[in-house]
Amino acid sequence: MRMRLKAAAAVVLCLHCLGVYLFTRGFLLTRTELSAFSLPSDLLQAQAPCCSESDLPSTTDQDLPGWTPPTVDRVLILIVDALRFDFVAPSSLFETKQKWMDRLSSLQHLASTHPSSSRIFKAIADPPTTSLQRLKALTTGGLPTFIDVGNSFAAPAIHEDNWIHQLLHTGRRVVMMGDDTWTQLFPHHFNHSYPYPSFNVKDLHTVDNGVAQHLMPWLHRQDWDVLIGHFLGVDHAGHIFGVDSQPMVQKLEQINAILQNVTDIMNSQKHLENTMLIVMGDHAQTLNGDHGGGTSEEVETCLFAWMPRSLPSSISSIFHPSTCGLGLNGKNICTSTMQQLDFAVSISALLGIPFPFGSIGRVNPELYALSPGSWDRQWLPASFYEDPSSDLKTWKNNYAHVLCINSWQVKRYIDCYSATSVMGFPSDDLHYITKLYNEAQSRWSDSKNSSCKPENGTIDEFSDFLLSFATLARSAWTEFDLKLMGVGLGIFIISIIFHLFVFERVHSLSNVYDNKTQKSSNHLQIYVAFLLVAVRAVSFLSNSYILAEGRVANFLLATTAIGSIRSSLVYGKIKKHDLVFLILIILIRFGIEKGMSKQAATNSFLNYDSGSDFDLNWLPSLFEGHDFVTLLSEISPMIILFLLSFLSCKYITCTVHSRYIKWVVTVGTMLSYLFIATFWLSERSFAPKMVYVIGLSLFVLNFVLRYLGILEKGETVQRLRSLALVMVSAWSPTILILLGKQGPFAVLVCIFAGWSIISSKNKGLLDDCKMDPISVMQWSLLAICLFYQTGHWCTFDGLRYGAAFIGFDEFKVVRQAILLFVDTFGISHILPIFSLPFLVTIPNSSSSKGRDKTVIFLNLTQVYLLYGLITAITTTFTVLCVAIQRRHLMVWGLFAPKYVFDAIGLLLTDVLICVSALYYC
Amino acid sequence: MRKAEIGATTALALHSLCAAGLATGYWLSHSLYSSSLITDPAPTLRILTVCEAPVVILLFSWLRRDHDRCSFIKAVARGLIGLPIGALINAFGAIVLGAPVGLKFWPATFYWSMLMSLFTFVPAACVFGASKLDWQQILSYSKPSNIVDYMLSVPAHGAIIGAWLGAWPMPLDWERPWQEWPICVAYGAIAGHLIGMLFSPVLIFLHRRHIRTKTE
Repeated sequence: MRMRLKAAAAVVLCLHCLGVYLFTRGFLLTRTELSAFSLPSDLLQAQAPCCSESDLPSTTDQDLPGWTPPTVDRVLILIVDALRFDFVAPSSLFETKQKWMDRLSSLQHLASTHPSSSRIFKAIADPPTTSLQRLKALTTGGLPTFIDVGNSFAAPAIHEDNWIHQLLHTGRRVVMMGDDTWTQLFPHHFNHSYPYPSFNVKDLHTVDNGVAQHLMPWLHRQDWDVLIGHFLGVDHAGHIFGVDSQPMVQKLEQINAILQNVTDIMNSQKHLENTMLIVMGDHAQTLNGDHGGGTSEEVETCLFAWMPRSLPSSISSIFHPSTCGLGLNGKNICTSTMQQLDFAVSISALLGIPFPFGSIGRVNPELYALSPGSWDRQWLPASFYEDPSSDLKTWKNNYAHVLCINSWQVKRYIDCYSATSVMGFPSDDLHYITKLYNEAQSRWSDSKNSSCKPENGTIDEFSDFLLSFATLARSAWTEFDLKLMGVGLGIFIISIIFHLFVFERVHSLSNVYDNKTQKSSNHLQIYVAFLLVAVRAVSFLSNSYILAEGRVANFLLATTAIGSIRSSLVYGKIKKHDLVFLILIILIRFGIEKGMSKQAATNSFLNYDSGSDFDLNWLPSLFEGHDFVTLLSEISPMIILFLLSFLSCKYITCTVHSRYIKWVVTVGTMLSYLFIATFWLSERSFAPKMVYVIGLSLFVLNFVLRYLGILEKGETVQRLRSLALVMVSAWSPTILILLGKQGPFAVLVCIFAGWSIISSKNKGLLDDCKMDPISVMQWSLLAICLFYQTGHWCTFDGLRYGAAFIGFDEFKVVRQAILLFVDTFGISHILPIFSLPFLVTIPNSSSSKGRDKTVIFLNLTQVYLLYGLITAITTTFTVLCVAIQRRHLMVWGLFAPKYVFDAIGLLLTDVLICVSALYYC
Repeated sequence: MRKAEIGATTALALHSLCAAGLATGYWLSHSLYSSSLITDPAPTLRILTVCEAPVVILLFSWLRRDHDRCSFIKAVARGLIGLPIGALINAFGAIVLGAPVGLKFWPATFYWSMLMSLFTFVPAACVFGASKLDWQQILSYSKPSNIVDYMLSVPAHGAIIGAWLGAWPMPLDWERPWQEWPICVAYGAIAGHLIGMLFSPVLIFLHRRHIRTKTE
């Protein structure tokens, strides 16, 4: 029988590991951020095949700041957040003309009157279509995923190479105005910046008016090279009113007026003659104003480029055959399609800066052709000067050069990424890509050695290589692997069936031992417990309930408490512990609400108005000016700590029978509490270290003593109880100090709630030691409540990073990760699972004196199996919901973090159950 | 004995009276003050309570248990005392389950718990007074021998389950005005109570038939 729990727990752990691994491979797209940066000198040092010494650009000197000569002087980038393609493209391209179409008439006017120096592109963005990820993609040229494994934990600043960084390092001046996300991403990169807060969705005008106010004066100035203006009004209008609304139309007309002004200025000012205007969206939006997912409505945004200077008319042959429609003035307007991925490298080529290291895009031919410099004879040797070859030939030669460098840079990134990343690309695909690259390069060098100049063929081969790699990268970084996800989910379900089967076996076995007949009552309790689990599990289908998970768990816990009061009434009187439990639930609830208001400050999804719900503003005003409130908040953790140490001391002396163990554990615990108090009073860093050392040595000592057989004395029930107590005493000081000053309170609540659950169990049953499914359910709900009550929540900014540095000042990944892990899961997983034996051993040991050892272990096995089953079922539902909601707007902000936390919690639960099985059984 | 006379039809009639009290309250608040539960919950709940209270107290005092020892007036007094006690218990339960405690919610919580008290606590207080055994019996349904028991327990449980279910839409992000405390909970409670009142005559009918077949 003792083997059974160990074996079952091990099998379940293995199944869950496999399931989590497979599902994660399919669902969580991971990409490693490389910290390398491109340098201007790379091209020469690496002896890239594109630029031999003899073949250097003829127009430039040795101290060329970039890899290619700049083809424009300045770039003016105006980003309109959530710009749909049909906001810009002529309405004749669409089936019906809607009222939001044709509002940006100034752009359409330019596109129709200057067909050879302007172009409307349908720019395809890659999901996730959220502003932060898109800006990252636009500047780095990569495909940001949910988990960009990087060096930084929390700060959103970009650590990968990007063209803003390259501009800074080649001495260009960048001016930014608008959305303050830019200044978060690039804190030190702008010469001037005018950030406006972006978080208030209801504010349609502050950002746009701010941009408009600063934009016109800057256009008249000459001391800038790149100007970025980011309008947010369209996005906000979409979020609040939807696309089909009057505020949206007004917003678009306002943007149109601004753009009209800008183009007028650019036409009139001499210094802007060689400036490219780019008007673009970072992503699009659905008609309801949502974005984040990968539907065509969300990814099809727009990019408009215009050059005030006229360009050679042969440009029209470079433009792809494209869809055209009649514009407002009756002239034809043509549009092309481009990938947003190509934007970063294209802009780098235009400005003549090194291409960002991690960019995997291709220099877009049409965008490149729109720059006057691309028509100059940069790369042609002097001998070629006499040849009055057509403009087109010159351009092709230039473009082939640029593409060659582009391919070399992408190949370098592929090699570097494969060598260093956690999860590389499939090797077959890599071989294919390498083959394409080698073919293209050999053709390029052939064509250079022979007298004929690179022609279309080379361009096509380089393009082929770049596009193939982009496809491969997309499949690795943006597409879910549904097959793997399905297999993972299937394994979860198999593990649940196995779990249920084992639980049923043990349950029937315990019924055999149990000669009294309370079968029906026990069955009812199991159904109630599973009903609660089902309610909780189904609630994960909605993002709102995931956000409010703590409150939902608290609600269910309160429901069970009220139910237990009801049965107390039926069978007699309301007991003390019932009322204590209710009060504790109220306390826990306030803690959860406090945590939620903290979370609402950082989470844009959570509209949690703390003022209305948890309105205790009148309370501080009563005590205003009184020092004793601050004094109380300082002292109360100390008092509770003292109380805790007293309680644990008393309990250890009562319960543990072996004299030496009692002595060691008591002294260890007392010393730990003393060190905690010292730490809070003096902030000395040795104290926490001592606490960790004592905790660890007690934990190890327990196992050693357990195997030496020293803890084997006494009766089964008492022995189990003292084992559990010693284990919990070893862990609680560490968890307590990591939780900070809220720790004592949380642990006290945990102890009292546990006591209430234990005392209120088995209302109608005569047999005290029988397993009560509802108590186990309450135990697990309490664990979830404690997780939220101690200020955690299921996103990565919900981790309490401060806890990782208690006792240590410098950062070491493994050590700090362990501390953070213990802080996050300590009170919600480690303590509750190690203290589960109390559920079968505490009540009334007098009646269990003569009990069979086997029955007690059967009950313990049942409790552990049931606890594991409850966790497994809820986690499986989380997995299922995540799989269903994988295209949901909040998948990266909410569902994926929830999945990560639940998966880790499940594996930890399994491991802890295995450890408990080894230790207790 | 009077309780033997009560059949399913009578129970239905009595329940309809209670429902009529609620409907009158709703109509009054709608026509006189042009307020609904959604726009201003506290005043509407107050009107509902004021209209429902006399109906419930008078009806269930008439159904009081031992007619001989307890006069009608005494039963009414028990109901009046039971009203605030039941309200306190209901409010406490709501707060345990997560009702907001902010000052601005106090009036709404107060009237909501008064109404809940009328649905759950007051009828039993009128009928039983402080008899512990009767209370236990009605909570456990161990021996649902009495018809009045059904009339008390089914609508009361309906109201509580309805309120519990009514709390579920509250955290959803639909941003509808009715998701505020205590509007959807009050709706749930009223709906559950009405369903319970419809259901209890059916149960009474089945119960009586069961007894009749047994005796035959």
